[in-house]
Amino acid sequence: MIDWMINVFSDKAVLSAIRVTFMLAFGSTLLSSVFGIAAGLLLERFSFPGKRIVIRINRTLMGVPPVVVGLLVYLLLMRRGPLGSLELLFTIPGMLIAQTLIITPIISGMVYSYACRFVPAIRVFAITMGAGKWQTVKLIFAELRKELYFCMVTGFGRSISEVGAVMLVGGNIKGSTRTMTTTISLLKSQGIFTEGVGLGILLLVMAFILQCLCDFFQREEVQDENY
Amino acid sequence: MKITDLHKKIGRFELNVESLSVEPGKIHGIVGSNGCGKTVFLKLVMGILNPDRGYIDYEGILPQEITMMTQRPYLMRTSVYKNLIYPLKIRGIRPDEEKMDELLDRAGLLEQKKQYARSLSSGEKQKLSFLRAMVFEPKVIIMDETLSNLDAESEELFKELISMRQKKDPATWLIVNHQWDHVNRLFEAVHYMEKGRFVKNEIAEG
Ligand SMILES: Nc1ncnc2c1ncn2[C@@H]1O[C@H](COP(=O)(O)OP(=O)(O)O)[C@@H](O)[C@H]1O
Ligand SMILES: [Mg+2]
Repeated sequence: MIDWMINVFSDKAVLSAIRVTFMLAFGSTLLSSVFGIAAGLLLERFSFPGKRIVIRINRTLMGVPPVVVGLLVYLLLMRRGPLGSLELLFTIPGMLIAQTLIITPIISGMVYSYACRFVPAIRVFAITMGAGKWQTVKLIFAELRKELYFCMVTGFGRSISEVGAVMLVGGNIKGSTRTMTTTISLLKSQGIFTEGVGLGILLLVMAFILQCLCDFFQREEVQDENY
Repeated sequence: MKITDLHKKIGRFELNVESLSVEPGKIHGIVGSNGCGKTVFLKLVMGILNPDRGYIDYEGILPQEITMMTQRPYLMRTSVYKNLIYPLKIRGIRPDEEKMDELLDRAGLLEQKKQYARSLSSGEKQKLSFLRAMVFEPKVIIMDETLSNLDAESEELFKELISMRQKKDPATWLIVNHQWDHVNRLFEAVHYMEKGRFVKNEIAEG
């Protein structure tokens, strides 16, 4: 096992896959959080014609198969596609676009549902305190920080575990757009299982360590509610 | 404060206030059975609800000078102290910690100063929400059943704090309270409601 670990960490291609995986996960979580949180909160705040349809579409997109998104982005980015001139196919920015498209609806849908549950009471409270518009926005973020964090963690988890879209749009190019999950997928197709499982475990362990770090940085005193 | 022809329909409920004048600087009680529209009325005054029709003349009082303690007080997910100073913080006023401690001490909440506000008992929560509404010295203070769940001692404290405030710089109070107790004896005017209407006003002499 230790031999294997040393092997893994000295293999340039594997290191690149790890780097690409986490870069993508952080990048797409960040972008999707900005779009998703804004969309979720705005959707709660404003009513407009067609809002219910937008919400239904959002819920549907939360469960859209990543390969489908991958295929669409592929068609958009391929050389003869509408955005072909940008030359983003088989590049990391291209993969980032695909992943952001997959994760944004997940985050906005979750944020919207939390917002519907908690924001009305916060808004009423803000009025009673005489808070201004931006102070109210700030208060909403402060009060919902745990929920928003959870939405982001969910988005991160989706990104790190995603295979289909990343494979299609990235092209699984060794040392460049290959990720940990697409490596595993390739290993499996070559009948190499032990390394695949090893990489899978490695991915989980790294995600776990990340979680521990996050918890460490946002640990707070006991916050039991008294009902 | 003068209210004219105020009308609000929520679901099957209709509130109709033809005319009501609320004398400033006085303590007003609003009395009526469950579901007669007291909360809806107070929310209209606070600006939480918008009327379908009609008009409230605040006579120069700004929205941020009005506060309301809702039936279930909202406590922020933070400490007791941070809750207490929140209205000062958003007004850019630096709180005088000694004065705040004294206030908490009077309410028996000093020991809980750093405690998570939502872990307080329900009576303590109401006391905290009361102190929080008082600390920035608003001109209109609306209390929607804030006084239920309180022990006799806390009720006495509320009464004292209200009287103190009235001596210093009289605020306009609108109080809904079911129990006929100490605080109700402070009422300088009582407005009776029935099925969404004000049916009777009693103004105390002197
Ligand atoms: N959001 C709402 N939707 C439907 N009905 C409501 C709503 N808010 C209040 N009502 C109704 O309005 C009436 C008055 O409510 P309220 O003012 O809360 O009564 P109370 O005088 O006990 O405070 C009640 O019958 C209540 O069911
Ligand atoms: Mg009520």
